[in-house]
Amino acid sequence: MQNKAKKGAVEKLATGICGFDEVLEGGVPKGRSTLITGATGTGKTVILNEFLYRGIIQFKENGVYVTFEEDKKDIIKNVKNFGWNYNSLIAQKKLAFVDAGALKGVILESGTNYDLSPLIERVKYALKKVKAKRLVMDSIDSLFSRFQNKDAIRQALYQIVAELKDLGVTALLSGEKVGGEKGLTRYGVEEFVTDGAIEMELIKGQQQFLRRMFVIKFRGIGFRSGIVEFEITDQGLVVYPKIPIERIVPKTDFKIRKAFGIKGLDEILGGGIPQGHMVLISGNTGTGKTMFGMHFLTQGMREGENAVFLALEESVEQVKKTALVHGWDFSRYEKEGKISFVSSSLIDIANDKLLYQIVSAVESINAKRVVVDSISTLMSATMNQEQVRQFLLQLVGYFKRKGVTCVMNYLSSVSFGAVRGQLLSSLMTNEIRLSSITDGIIMLLFVERDQNIKKLLSVLKMRGSQHATEIFSFEIEKGGIKMGEKYKE
Amino acid sequence: MLSRKAITEAKKIVSEDLKDNCRLEIVDLLLNPEEAEKYNILVTPTLIRTHPKPEKKIIGDLSDKEKLLTCLDLTPRR
Repeated sequence: MQNKAKKGAVEKLATGICGFDEVLEGGVPKGRSTLITGATGTGKTVILNEFLYRGIIQFKENGVYVTFEEDKKDIIKNVKNFGWNYNSLIAQKKLAFVDAGALKGVILESGTNYDLSPLIERVKYALKKVKAKRLVMDSIDSLFSRFQNKDAIRQALYQIVAELKDLGVTALLSGEKVGGEKGLTRYGVEEFVTDGAIEMELIKGQQQFLRRMFVIKFRGIGFRSGIVEFEITDQGLVVYPKIPIERIVPKTDFKIRKAFGIKGLDEILGGGIPQGHMVLISGNTGTGKTMFGMHFLTQGMREGENAVFLALEESVEQVKKTALVHGWDFSRYEKEGKISFVSSSLIDIANDKLLYQIVSAVESINAKRVVVDSISTLMSATMNQEQVRQFLLQLVGYFKRKGVTCVMNYLSSVSFGAVRGQLLSSLMTNEIRLSSITDGIIMLLFVERDQNIKKLLSVLKMRGSQHATEIFSFEIEKGGIKMGEKYKE
Repeated sequence: MLSRKAITEAKKIVSEDLKDNCRLEIVDLLLNPEEAEKYNILVTPTLIRTHPKPEKKIIGDLSDKEKLLTCLDLTPRR
């Protein structure tokens, strides 16, 4: 990402959390405090912990943990699940706690005349002890719930934040978002405390929960807008940044064609698919969509172009088995680093995660050809038509910038075109308004003739280039697809 | 200073209600943040009853004497 920081503008501090900095276009506001808000169980504590831990481990920036919720002992125990050894960091004077866990006894009030200066002193003391550059506070709301004199608390928080700013310490403060309330937190602390706010949420899918986050505000500095998905893995947080949709795409050089390596078909296509184009192969089950994709990738690998296969219809193992029947040893290609497979659970597909996986796979082997098998599978519970469209827009835009040529399979409900005139009767692309995204469409159909089922192929669209307009028959044989004659009634 | 009033109140209790049968220790937490950390104190003034157990904390200027006595289990038996 380009850093458009102007002179005197707020700098950013990389958190080191996977994908998070990309969403924030560099990190959180440096030397400032950012609010992390969300309901219970949304992952606030995890992000706070990881911010501290990555700071110490990756950036040699020591940290202070101020807790008003769980006590130190429990926090140390909890983060062991991520493999983070806080005891060792404390012993090395890299991490210090201000341990004000909520369970430490009841406090009674006799008069409301008091202030929170010991808290301020404890924070200062801890910061000094480890020469901290980062601080987290979990959570502001549990501090508020503990004392009646809210003004005293506000005053103290204000002072702490000012102190942090003076010392150039970057902080994440958590706040509890309560359903139905308007503000970001229960006590409205965000207004005076923070320079940025990020909200986290938990969404119920069909079979599992999906985690999301979004930046609410980042005073005076850029970030990628929109809701992003994230996961809590056994190594911490993984945030899946959205790929920005760019309107400007490089011009296609129509002279560069990506062949399928299927005799007859490449001629029909005028040599192949223009580089950077996305071609939809539409057809019902059994028409051979996957096979065309395999041809396309195999031909690429033969020409020295690496490939990514997105297997959503079948398991990767099954894809490899099928390929091997036709003499394409995808396992070997995979070992040689020529092909990479991406798969996903078929229910509750997390679009951002999938995008991230595809982009990572493409980047890791510098792939030039991609097959998506199939986009119909994307229409799961969590991906409605609009989301599929968004997903494809992002993906196709990315491919175009990278010069990646892509074949996407689409399971069309149209299968038999037995009657003349019915062949093209129902064009599937309207279903998800794909025609603006796709550069080309190849349609596969069955037709019944002489008590036989024949397979037919027709090129419906090839943006910016000539292609044959006739209908051709083809067969699937051992070794792949064999194109046949022009189809006659 | 807020604590001054609290100290006066605490001393009064020590002499009047407890007849000096206890020890009152006064710590300036701003000079001793480790002590604040050790006893988990967030507020000044804070009065801690360390003995007898359980430990009890009462904050504020101790102007609400009835509450204070309740907290310290010093309410006279009826």
